[in-house]
Amino acid sequence: MTWALIATKHLELRKRRGLVITAGLLTAGIVVLVLGLRLLFHLFAPASNGPAGSPDIFSSLSNLLAEFGFLVAAAVGAAAGTTDLTDGVFRGLVITGRSRLALYLARIPAGLAVILPVIAVAFTVLCLVTSYAGTPQPTSVSVNGVSIPPSFDQAELQGWIRQHPQQAANAFPSGPAGPASSSGPSPVPSGAAVSQPITVLYAEYTADEIAGSNPAVNEMVKIGLWLELEVAVGFLAGLGLGSLTGQRTLTIIVLIGLEIIVTPILAAHVIPHFLDGQRLAVGIALDQLRPAALGAAGPAGGGPGGPGRVLFGGRGALDIPLMPTWAMISVIVGWMVGWSLIGAWRMMTRDA
Amino acid sequence: MNAIVLAVAGSPRHAFGGGLFLLAILVVAALGFGTARLTARRRARSTGPESPWPPAPAAPAAPAAPAAPAASSAPPPATAEIVPTAPPRPRRAVPSPGAGWAVETDGLTKRFGSNVAVDDVRLQVPRGSAFGYLGPNGAGKTTLIRTLLGLTRADAGTMALLGIPVPAERSRALARVGAIVDEPRFHAHLTGRENLRLLAAARGGEAETRIVPSLARVGLTDRANDKVASYSMGMRQRLGVASCLLGDPELLILDEPMNGLDPAGMHEMRGLIASLVDEGRTVMLSSHLLDEVERTCDAVAIVDHGRVIRQGPIDELTRGAGTVAVQVDCAEPGRAKRIVDEAGVAAGTTLTEAGLTVTLPQGSSRELIADLNRRLVGAGISVYGLREIRTSLEDWFLSVTSRLGDPT
Repeated sequence: MTWALIATKHLELRKRRGLVITAGLLTAGIVVLVLGLRLLFHLFAPASNGPAGSPDIFSSLSNLLAEFGFLVAAAVGAAAGTTDLTDGVFRGLVITGRSRLALYLARIPAGLAVILPVIAVAFTVLCLVTSYAGTPQPTSVSVNGVSIPPSFDQAELQGWIRQHPQQAANAFPSGPAGPASSSGPSPVPSGAAVSQPITVLYAEYTADEIAGSNPAVNEMVKIGLWLELEVAVGFLAGLGLGSLTGQRTLTIIVLIGLEIIVTPILAAHVIPHFLDGQRLAVGIALDQLRPAALGAAGPAGGGPGGPGRVLFGGRGALDIPLMPTWAMISVIVGWMVGWSLIGAWRMMTRDA
Repeated sequence: MNAIVLAVAGSPRHAFGGGLFLLAILVVAALGFGTARLTARRRARSTGPESPWPPAPAAPAAPAAPAAPAASSAPPPATAEIVPTAPPRPRRAVPSPGAGWAVETDGLTKRFGSNVAVDDVRLQVPRGSAFGYLGPNGAGKTTLIRTLLGLTRADAGTMALLGIPVPAERSRALARVGAIVDEPRFHAHLTGRENLRLLAAARGGEAETRIVPSLARVGLTDRANDKVASYSMGMRQRLGVASCLLGDPELLILDEPMNGLDPAGMHEMRGLIASLVDEGRTVMLSSHLLDEVERTCDAVAIVDHGRVIRQGPIDELTRGAGTVAVQVDCAEPGRAKRIVDEAGVAAGTTLTEAGLTVTLPQGSSRELIADLNRRLVGAGISVYGLREIRTSLEDWFLSVTSRLGDPT
């Protein structure tokens, strides 16, 4: 694999105007459109329209970028994996005597160089607007109407509860205990007006903190990396499946179906005796890795810290039991490597 | 606005609803439409004229057995009204085998299920020659080329390109080979130059530096920066040849290079092939166009039903079929006819506007022509010229393949 091989494949992909424009519109285009309109509305009618950036908008557009980024990346991957075949150029490339494996491997950086910058630009715009034209950072965290100082860690929250039992009782009204933490219940010290484990309380506190705050720069970096990972996985899956089938449209349809039909079903319901099988869906592993700062609007949002927290602070947004960290990483890496191997194998064995 | 955004994107993956699905469908539709449109456009362009094969059978069937040489068959029917098929250029002497074979196969076999597309082929293409691989559609020409180039795997047999065994050392062999298989195909949305850059990058080495001279060689310099989508079939063929030249190949393998070309394009392609051979390169081309092969090539292999029936220099092969007639330009054609008939040395005589046509018996040697001349001159008839009318490649081809009289 040479630089020239990568550069020319990149040229071939980025010159596909329809593909690149569609990719841009569905990612950066939406972000720019939404934020641009919000900026304009706020500029001309600030009384009725708040700042363009807000935690909600940031979270919403980031999630949108993740979804569409995956799909668009899958489309770019499918194009990278099939256009040589459908255009009849594959044969010409093979006749040059160049290793088929090298031809395949060159598609990976070439395709990623098309799609990753698009997502990076879109997310950068989002971060800039959130940071410089967004709502000001709150000075306290409002939990059920009770103001609590921000940026507490679990021990600090525990100390605050001990010192402010009445306010704590209002902030965390007694009720059924929430989901148990992995380390087991850790009761609040006697004398406190609350009866739930501290991990549950802390999760609720951080959820409210995230919901009301713009993410910090380090959180934005984590989210950006997560988005690029999501996009890279989508691209490699599209490339591998496209190389396997040789059909671009079929590949895109399959991956769209996987992403917006199959994965949500698998993420929402535990299928008896098939939980480990459900976890093989890469979308579930990526969801579990979802950074904490993105918030989790799903029913499990605000739940206890999941394995994703180990890497990006993700708490998961799944309605099925979380998988161990090693399993989550294995699934993601497995999809990236597995599809690459399948695609390379097919390219090496395909009749040209 | 916030509500709209949240409605579309506000929830994580598992909460996505119809809006996302609709947009996803739009993505597929947009991408699929683009693909379909390109495919349709490409198909429309690639539908070029193609001569029918075999020609409409207007004559009795020749012996079906491929082993039966022309000499043992009836005179080819077309020779009664023989049209001389003189090549437009003098045919080169085929280099001796001592120069080595550019392509050599032995027992090469390729099957598709029960269909044997290439059947135990032993092929030897002399270096430095223009070699025609001639056969009707479906005879296995393209399959043989694809097998040679490693585009598909052989089921049996051995192959060597330029003396290098393939597929064992395929990359090394192909580095010195340029080829067009089926028809030259390119990315239609890229320019000719960009397509060549793509192929040059795959070749590596100095191929990049040969893009400009290759384009000039095929006369595409002025159109190099136009998208291939705007190219005619002839221009694509030329671009295909340019792509072959990127590797400065010793061997060019061209599959049906005349397909889709108009007469001017064919003329250009013939000239290009001739110039490539003049440079010492070997050009192996497959074709179902007999006349083109005869005009372009020095040697030929005839393939039918996947098997090579005959191969060798065209002159030798057609000479084996024998001279079939002599056109006699003389002062008294009528008397000359009587003299020839009385001598009993001819298979038949015909008076034409051009004079006397004497059909020779099968297997006659050229001495018979000299004997005719002596008899006529001896009888006091002024002979102005004797023109040998030999079997054309087409006549010979029809006589050795099973296609003559094939209603299909």
